[in-house]
Amino acid sequence: MGNSVIVRRLGLLAVLALCVVLLALVPYLPSYYVRVADSILIYIILAVGLNLVVGYAGLLDLGFIAFYAVGAYAYALLASGQFDIHLPFIVVLFIGAAAGAIAGVLLGFPVLKLRGDYLAIVTLSFGEIIRIAINNADELTNGPQGIAGLDRASLFGLPLTSPVHFYWLLLVLTVIVCAGVYYMERSILGKAWRALREDQDVVRGLGINTTTLKLLAFALSAAIGGAGGVIFGAFQRFVSPESFTFQESLLVVLIIIIGGVGNIVGVIAGAVVLVILPEILHFAAQYRLLIYGVVLVTVIVLRPGGLVSPRFNLGFIIRKVRTLWLSPSKT
Amino acid sequence: MALALENVSKHFGSLVAIRNLSLSFDVGSIYSIIGPNGAGKSTVVNMIAGSYSVTSGTIRLGATALNRLPKHRIAQLGVSRTYQNLRLFDGMTVLENLEVCFFPQSWLTFLTGAKRLSKAERLDICHACLAEFHLSDVADVLAGDLPYGRQKILELARAFVTQAPIVLLDEPAAGLNHTETKDMAAMIAGLKREDRAIILVEHDMDMVMSISDRIDVLNYGELLCSGTPDLVRTNERVQEAYLGTTEELDDIRKLAQSRRAQGGLRANAGIVRH
Amino acid sequence: MFDYFLQQLIFALAIGAIYGLIALGYTMVYGVMRLINFAHGEFFMLGPYIYTFLFSGLLGLGGLAPVLDSAIAIVASFVIVGLLGVAIERFAYRPLRAYGRLAPMLSALGMSIVLQSAVRVTVGPQPVHFPAIVESTPIDALGGMVTTVQLGILAAAVLLMVGLALFVNGTRLGIWIRAASESWTTSSLLGIRVNRAVSLVFFIGPGLGAMAGIMYASYYGIMQPTMGSVIGLKAFTAAILGGIGSIPGAMLGGFLLGAIEVFGTAFLPILSFGYIGTEYRDVFAFAVLILVLLFKPAGLLGETVSEETTVAKKDY
Repeated sequence: MGNSVIVRRLGLLAVLALCVVLLALVPYLPSYYVRVADSILIYIILAVGLNLVVGYAGLLDLGFIAFYAVGAYAYALLASGQFDIHLPFIVVLFIGAAAGAIAGVLLGFPVLKLRGDYLAIVTLSFGEIIRIAINNADELTNGPQGIAGLDRASLFGLPLTSPVHFYWLLLVLTVIVCAGVYYMERSILGKAWRALREDQDVVRGLGINTTTLKLLAFALSAAIGGAGGVIFGAFQRFVSPESFTFQESLLVVLIIIIGGVGNIVGVIAGAVVLVILPEILHFAAQYRLLIYGVVLVTVIVLRPGGLVSPRFNLGFIIRKVRTLWLSPSKT
Repeated sequence: MALALENVSKHFGSLVAIRNLSLSFDVGSIYSIIGPNGAGKSTVVNMIAGSYSVTSGTIRLGATALNRLPKHRIAQLGVSRTYQNLRLFDGMTVLENLEVCFFPQSWLTFLTGAKRLSKAERLDICHACLAEFHLSDVADVLAGDLPYGRQKILELARAFVTQAPIVLLDEPAAGLNHTETKDMAAMIAGLKREDRAIILVEHDMDMVMSISDRIDVLNYGELLCSGTPDLVRTNERVQEAYLGTTEELDDIRKLAQSRRAQGGLRANAGIVRH
Repeated sequence: MFDYFLQQLIFALAIGAIYGLIALGYTMVYGVMRLINFAHGEFFMLGPYIYTFLFSGLLGLGGLAPVLDSAIAIVASFVIVGLLGVAIERFAYRPLRAYGRLAPMLSALGMSIVLQSAVRVTVGPQPVHFPAIVESTPIDALGGMVTTVQLGILAAAVLLMVGLALFVNGTRLGIWIRAASESWTTSSLLGIRVNRAVSLVFFIGPGLGAMAGIMYASYYGIMQPTMGSVIGLKAFTAAILGGIGSIPGAMLGGFLLGAIEVFGTAFLPILSFGYIGTEYRDVFAFAVLILVLLFKPAGLLGETVSEETTVAKKDY
């Protein structure tokens, strides 16, 4: 028995070490790959944020990208030559998150009593309204031309200019966001959200104000979206309305569904697949989108519950690691 | 604390489900509301819990008027309930089904943590409750995976875990077999306490007769009679409402015969018009 | 002023009729399956492409009067797009029925990408000319100018809507569809072949969408592979506005959205003293939608979820 425990511990260590090494090696890859990795990480953050609303609280939000736009434009307006305001990146990061949350509450307050598809279409409309407004508020946002030449960001004196810098920043943020959401998922708040998804009438009957509960999910997810937008703005150093179309909202929803709703591990898998797939398909030239669509439909028909089984979640992995380490005889 | 219905009426469109009903329930007893199908029993429960609005009249808990309050406020004031058809959180474990009941009830408690149970306290209460309802062995099983009888008991546990002073039980014995019903009756009888009123809507007469302190009989939305089980059992009007008068029985028999002659119900009759 | 108003009214009715026809497809599919069929806009786009292909083919063969060619092509595009809809339901949606509502929606999104890029790959992404079915001649009506195309669209759309209403209310198959929308389980218990009702809905919905596409293309004289996206979204808005699941609601919603858009565009700059320009047309439509839903949460003609009806346990 002793031997097999050692083997399994070594195996576990090897897997963990491999993950760390792989993540640490990314910056040494050619710039293109680092950019793809950055993109994956941004979408993980967005999807984990949206998952609070879609996966946990069971509300379909099809206008999520609006909060992302709010964050990106916050950086564009507060850290560029547009109005000659140059706030530091970290300050705008918090402003962007706060602005996202406020937008979330403003949208959520009137509409959260709507059910299901009505909520979906209203959030969708909200996303479109934000985009069209940005497109046309020329004095503020330069309209369709967008705002270019955003400030080079820096964080605590460290420059944030190359994709590699952003890789590290995004990696740290991804870990923070995932850990935070995981903690929330296990708290009583997470349980109340899951109950809400199952039967909101009964939840009300238990003395819980469901509007507050939904609003909280909306605000938190919007704050994550806003923060993601600030990073996007700092990374691209250019924002324009066409980055925030309905299709982008759908992509984030797709990531969640294809990975496995309500499951952080699933969301990570979904982001990896859906960001890498179009990159791989570059060879197919004009057939790229066609193949992408076919793969998408095939995957969902073959694995309707998502790529990752709901049982294989962060909690499962942590439990597994812990039991193997602390009391291996139980496994 | 007492719950009182004062001249309560409920209309669904032109249908009068409850007409001028006045009832009062004090803590310390088990009450049963019975009556033939469509008498308005469930409507009463749904009005008290805030699922239905009240057309006229007032429902009071102590000095507070409950109608016009949103549903979650009513629950916070101490009214908990079960549902006619099971409504558990199927995808959550048995323990989690109880834990959810302890979600902080306002923004203030949520943010400051004042008056808020710690996780350990919360779990202690839930585990004690599970033990009381003989559910400890399935604490980590998904509620949807339990056999029906135990799901019913879990729903009962969920209604009692917060120590609400008013507990509404909507047909706790529905779908249970004879032994399970007996167990359920014994369990409910054992839950009677000085600071709690249990209000039961139930079809199973054995259960109602054996555990109730007072029975209220409804018929066509009106109170037919109210009193101890013995009193209700011997009341003529109750028998009439349940079994019908002799003439009515004849009518029913005739109708049944003519239906049979027609060769059963027409299958497509019900769905066409809207 | 009045002739301007009349002109705008005809325009609003024509565009509203098109929205209404597409909205019917959304609403019927939603009625029986509770599915937002995101691929529906693509059927709208496919209509004019298939029509053009068939029409030029028939014209090339010769032997028939062009009017007849055109008529055959129109009917055939209805049938072809309808059958495509049936096939998509069969292979991309039906296997997912047991998996909640998000999975089929995702599948619909995927199908939308597939259809749109398939057309793009075949005929190229650029807008192409659409052959006129009816010569566009202006007619002077009550001082306003309307075109034959506008009137043709209006007449055809109303004809299709009346036909659909008669079919759904008066025929056995139509009653199946309504029964299936009302309750899936009860209908199957009563011996209704629900799957057939679903197939039927997936035939009629996309077919109507294709007709709407042909009307739209003949109105503007061009077509392009992306034309279904925005229009689809707006038609879906119209369906929600009228109350999703309700067939009269979809028609009403379509006309209403058309009116909101056209008159919004026409009068918004005047009303707001030029501050809000026509570019806010879509904002206006969406804002009206949000307002309507706030006051009538189930849409204008939607089934009100009253306290008496048991409410759906799960949204998503």
